[in-house]
Amino acid sequence: MTMATLERRAVLGLAGALAAGVTLAPGMTLLAAPAERTEASAGRRWAMLIDTTQCAANCTACTTACRKENNVPLFGEPSRDIHWIRKVEIRDKDQRRPTVSLPVLCNHCENPPCVHVCPTEASFIRKDGIVLVDEHRCIGCRYCIIACPYKARSLVYHETKRGAESNPDVPIRSKGVVEKCTFCVHRLDNGQEPACVEACKGEGKGAMLFGDLNDPRSEIAKRVHTVATKTMRPDLGLKPRIYYQGL
Amino acid sequence: MLRLSSLVRFVLTILPIVAGLLWVNPVDLWAHDGQGGHAGALRLELPEGKECVKSAEWMRRNHMDFLKHNRDQAVREGIRVKTDSLKNCTTCHTSREKFCDRCHTYTGVAPNCFECHHYPK
Ligand code: HEC
Ligand code: HEC
Ligand code: HEC
Repeated sequence: MTMATLERRAVLGLAGALAAGVTLAPGMTLLAAPAERTEASAGRRWAMLIDTTQCAANCTACTTACRKENNVPLFGEPSRDIHWIRKVEIRDKDQRRPTVSLPVLCNHCENPPCVHVCPTEASFIRKDGIVLVDEHRCIGCRYCIIACPYKARSLVYHETKRGAESNPDVPIRSKGVVEKCTFCVHRLDNGQEPACVEACKGEGKGAMLFGDLNDPRSEIAKRVHTVATKTMRPDLGLKPRIYYQGL
Repeated sequence: MLRLSSLVRFVLTILPIVAGLLWVNPVDLWAHDGQGGHAGALRLELPEGKECVKSAEWMRRNHMDFLKHNRDQAVREGIRVKTDSLKNCTTCHTSREKFCDRCHTYTGVAPNCFECHHYPK
């Protein structure tokens, strides 16, 4: 019985892999040709592992790539600027530990407080664990901004315009909606990695690892189970899916 | 006597107003000629390609629900169908101004989609 189920699953898995395209590395597939139809899979749990020992203090490859990919504007007003991902420096007051630099982004929590407080169900958890804002439903009440302990969300305070360098594949924004990191969901659904991860592998030092925690063969699942990692404020019980190594 | 003079005054004040309205109105109506509004037949730019994603008759009535349904499916469930995306409309209906907007102005609807979404023209 168990064998039969296993075989059936193996066969199904193979068929799935063939249908989905080329498997780059375990857990990370790249579509050979853009699929005609995609759907979020409830079996996946997207997560990120950031190796802070590989994150250089002066490197902004991830934040720059994010702004470019998602058309995230900079208004030049510190209190109102939109950040999907930002670089943070952590210093030990007693200087016993070295200063570390690391990116902070939406943690795509398993128990996201932002989703629980949203009065319009604009914030929601997608089947594959990604926490998203449906900007079509958002009324800009900002409860979620207050609820998020990671300061991952921003309200759009100003009108924005499309420019020649804007990414035409990604919408810009309306004044008065809340937005945040989407794990580049439009890229994921197209078989690509988030833009920050790609940039970190290119210009950066490869500190970011992205993948499916539910796939035991994926690099991230292996690393999370073998390397000492931390999440931010685990005491809050939100079960974040951004893991930090070397913190 | 008093009555008559007030009647005369009344007529004298009303007359210019009525005349003014008569004079202004036709001008106002003509101003709409060809620029949206309801003057004349609606002329839309012909799309490239032979057929719409559904029949043209169906799309005329249902494209708004079709688009919003696909929007909710794509954003909330991750169900993205290449042919049904908002982006795909632009491959055949190349000009929003001369197609979508022209009809929307004619029928008096103002979708806000393109505050955020890209439509090449
Ligand atoms: C493959 C090309 C193609 C694509 C893609 C396409 N259309 Fe069309 N569309 C057409 C054609 C051809 C017609 C028929 C025009 C006619 O008969 O006058 C049409 C007709 C229509 C009409 C009715 C116009 C009328 O004359 O009343 C609407 C509304 C419409 N399309 C909306 C859309 C929307 C919205 C999308 C995106 C989801 C879309 N179309 C995508 C080719 C296309
Ligand atoms: C033949 C006329 C016509 C054409 C052409 C047309 N529309 Fe529409 N559209 C309408 C009408 C009428 C409504 C309002 C329907 C209602 O309110 O029930 C509407 C509503 C919409 C809505 C919903 C707006 C809302 O806020 O509820 C969207 C979105 C939309 N149109 C998109 C498009 C796009 C994109 C195109 C071009 C590819 C297009 N339409 C072309 C007539 C047209
Ligand atoms: C506040 C900005 C905003 C407005 C206004 C807006 N959208 Fe969106 N829309 C988005 C964002 C953000 C996404 C998510 C992009 C993604 O995941 O690819 C999206 C995704 C979509 C998608 C799925 C992706 C695609 O391109 O097919 C559709 C369809 C869509 N919107 C339709 C609409 C329609 C129709 C309207 C108008 C009634 C509208 N949107 C108004 C921001 C907006």
